[in-house]
Amino acid sequence: METNRLKELARLTVTSDAPGERMFMLGNEAIARGAIEAGVQVAAAYPGTPSSEIMETLAEVAAKSGMYAEWSVNEKVAFEVALAASLCGVRAMTSMKHVGLNVAHDSVMTANYIGVKGGLLLVVADDPWMWSSQNEQDSRYVAEQAYMPVLEPSSIQEAKDMVVSAFELSEQFKHPFMLRSVTRIGHGRSDVRLGEIRRERVPGVFEKDPMRLVVVPAVARRNRVLMLERFERIKQAVSNLPYNELKLGKTARLGIIACGLSYSYALEAIDYLELGGKVSVLKIGTPHPLPEELIKKLLESVDEALVVEELEPFVETHVKAIAQEADIRVKIHGKNLIPKVGELSTRQVAEALAKLTNHESIAGFSRADEVARDVASLLPLRPPALCPGCPHRASNYLIGVVSRKVARQYGEGIQPIYPGDIGCYTLAVNPPLNAVDSCICMGGGFGVASGLAHVIKAPIVAHLGDSTFFHSGIPPLINAVYNKANITMVVLDNSATAMTGFQPHPGTGRTATGEEAPLLKIEDIAKACGVEFVEVIDPLDLKKAADTLERAIRFEGPAVVVSRSICAILGQREKRRKGEEIVPYRVLKEKCSDRCDACISLLGCPAIMREDSKAMIDSATCPGCGLCAQICPYKAIVQE
Amino acid sequence: MKKEKIKECNVIIAGVGGQGVILMSELLGNVAMRDGLNVRGSEVLGMAVRGGSVSSTIRIGDHISAPLVATGTCDILVGLEPSEALRHISFLAPSGVVILNTETVIPFMVTIGMSGYPGLKEITEKLAAASGRLITLDAVELAREAGSHLAANIVMLGALLGTGLLPVQVESVKKEIEVHFSPKLIPVNFRALDFGYRAVNN
Repeated sequence: METNRLKELARLTVTSDAPGERMFMLGNEAIARGAIEAGVQVAAAYPGTPSSEIMETLAEVAAKSGMYAEWSVNEKVAFEVALAASLCGVRAMTSMKHVGLNVAHDSVMTANYIGVKGGLLLVVADDPWMWSSQNEQDSRYVAEQAYMPVLEPSSIQEAKDMVVSAFELSEQFKHPFMLRSVTRIGHGRSDVRLGEIRRERVPGVFEKDPMRLVVVPAVARRNRVLMLERFERIKQAVSNLPYNELKLGKTARLGIIACGLSYSYALEAIDYLELGGKVSVLKIGTPHPLPEELIKKLLESVDEALVVEELEPFVETHVKAIAQEADIRVKIHGKNLIPKVGELSTRQVAEALAKLTNHESIAGFSRADEVARDVASLLPLRPPALCPGCPHRASNYLIGVVSRKVARQYGEGIQPIYPGDIGCYTLAVNPPLNAVDSCICMGGGFGVASGLAHVIKAPIVAHLGDSTFFHSGIPPLINAVYNKANITMVVLDNSATAMTGFQPHPGTGRTATGEEAPLLKIEDIAKACGVEFVEVIDPLDLKKAADTLERAIRFEGPAVVVSRSICAILGQREKRRKGEEIVPYRVLKEKCSDRCDACISLLGCPAIMREDSKAMIDSATCPGCGLCAQICPYKAIVQE
Repeated sequence: MKKEKIKECNVIIAGVGGQGVILMSELLGNVAMRDGLNVRGSEVLGMAVRGGSVSSTIRIGDHISAPLVATGTCDILVGLEPSEALRHISFLAPSGVVILNTETVIPFMVTIGMSGYPGLKEITEKLAAASGRLITLDAVELAREAGSHLAANIVMLGALLGTGLLPVQVESVKKEIEVHFSPKLIPVNFRALDFGYRAVNN
């Protein structure tokens, strides 16, 4: 390729007006591009893997795309912000991870009753195999319950295209739509052909319509009937969408119904087993509502069918119902042959197809399994760890030391309990900190602590992060005050939503698009909520912090400690930006005792290693937090 | 000389957060796309920054659709870290090629005595037995010679091209490096690419 042409292509960005050109994109960038092509005017989200890059991409280009973009405090608010824009005739999008949809669930359930005006799209990223999640829930069930139509892409190209289609459909039917992504879409990469960008922008107009928008029972009853009618019309339309496609094999006795990304695995499994032309394939791009006529057509043409989808048997259950209703007597397989747990790959689909087509067991797979078994015991454990210099290490180390000390006075063998939460600090569950006893959901740390207080006699020290505090930590804090729970609530404030990529939040003083914003102080909120003991500590000033923490744990009644120290990664970035030097620590070999090991065995910092039975600090990764120097009994660790 | 195109080429790049796995796959994906090929890939990003295992898949070919490589069908396994290559051994096709950087990154679980780490010899023996060809090189040392230890991933990219198995042109990769890196970093990366290429192609 000519260098000039290459340079021109390399300059393409997510906002480029270059229809027909190809870009190598992350799936979430492609979804963001879809929003730009669709002329979205309002986007709101709360970060969550694997969805965060959608909003990150949009926030970066919002100004020049004529879009308003925000990180909302949580998914429920994000959905409501988007809903409001849509009710005013403006195209709006919200994106979240699957468990975020639980937070938004309340608003989602009623938004469908009232319908929309400007297109409204809810992008939900499911996480099969729970790469970064606490459960493997399937968002399609929420969509079904909410009568929200779902588009599910089979590729990254389709993810982008479906965003554009979803806005057209949403406006056509005056109804919100969902795009169901999964980890391998959002965090997949592919060449993507760009489309036209819609430049039209409409001013928001709020038309008062209490008989639709104020859902008192009389209105809700009417809305429900209207919603069901709308949904029936949507059902008629989806069969004709190009995202559903039936390919009948001339002599096929077996039919495959593959939904979303599973379609790509099904295609490759057919190739792998050389079954091309010998099976019929129905590609499903709208799992809810399903293209019933195409399903019937497929089922009528085969003796047996296999439904391929990730997670729950959502499509499978409905296909069985459709067959029963239409009196089509075909054996329908699904989760009896395709795993429910985890993400799919070509292998699982090939194995299911092999069983149905009397192929022998697949030699390539069994050989690979043997190889994997052979090396399993050799593989080192490499869990993600708190970064070198992470202030959460200091906070969790302190919580452990201090609360164990207080616990001893409760009686022999009494252990403190550490309810934890969702964020980087969950990694403190690993040895040697062992500092998390439960982690359920966002905000759950303070809620669980509130409950424990009424049944357990021991120090209960809960922790959650700054962004999590604003997201859902405040109601359980108020609950602890109101119901007089004797607990200590530590907010680990590192000035970022670090786990998902350092997004700002109300405690950082800036917005998604980098504008200054009022900085809300966690300690002020705690005081305003009626907490009598509220103190701020610097976890890297161990002695002072330990003293404050001990007073908090001994305090009768709910206590709040804000443990404030900037995220180590952000701190280093800031220093580099200001031209300040990052000075690592080092071990004085002559002072270090080979019988001690305290820094290694108490902190688990990845920058501290063992060398000739003494400690050694990797100067390339040590950001100079000084925690190890403070706990070294031999004063053998110094800053260079 | 124009290489003969292959129908499908499956590459897995395995390493540890911070080694440049993602950058490598971005470069490779862009090059393949600009050479007119279809590209699919996937990675697990969430934990990358925190020292955990990171791997990325890049698939190039006319008929590919899935983002993941099926068990036993990986044509080239690029190991930026030996034990991480071993972790992906079951993806290798029997004819597959392994390109291994021999410098280890010891996880903290090993430091605190909660896990073991196999000997390099044991790792290379297992990988050699499960593949068609094993190529080892000290990419970090070669990168240092090229001008920066940070360019080890580009050394490995050079080595990957040196196998001649990828349906992309070396010139296209150089052009991609030119548009991706700032001018003062281009010479280092060109040298790194060349050192990696020659370590395999000699």
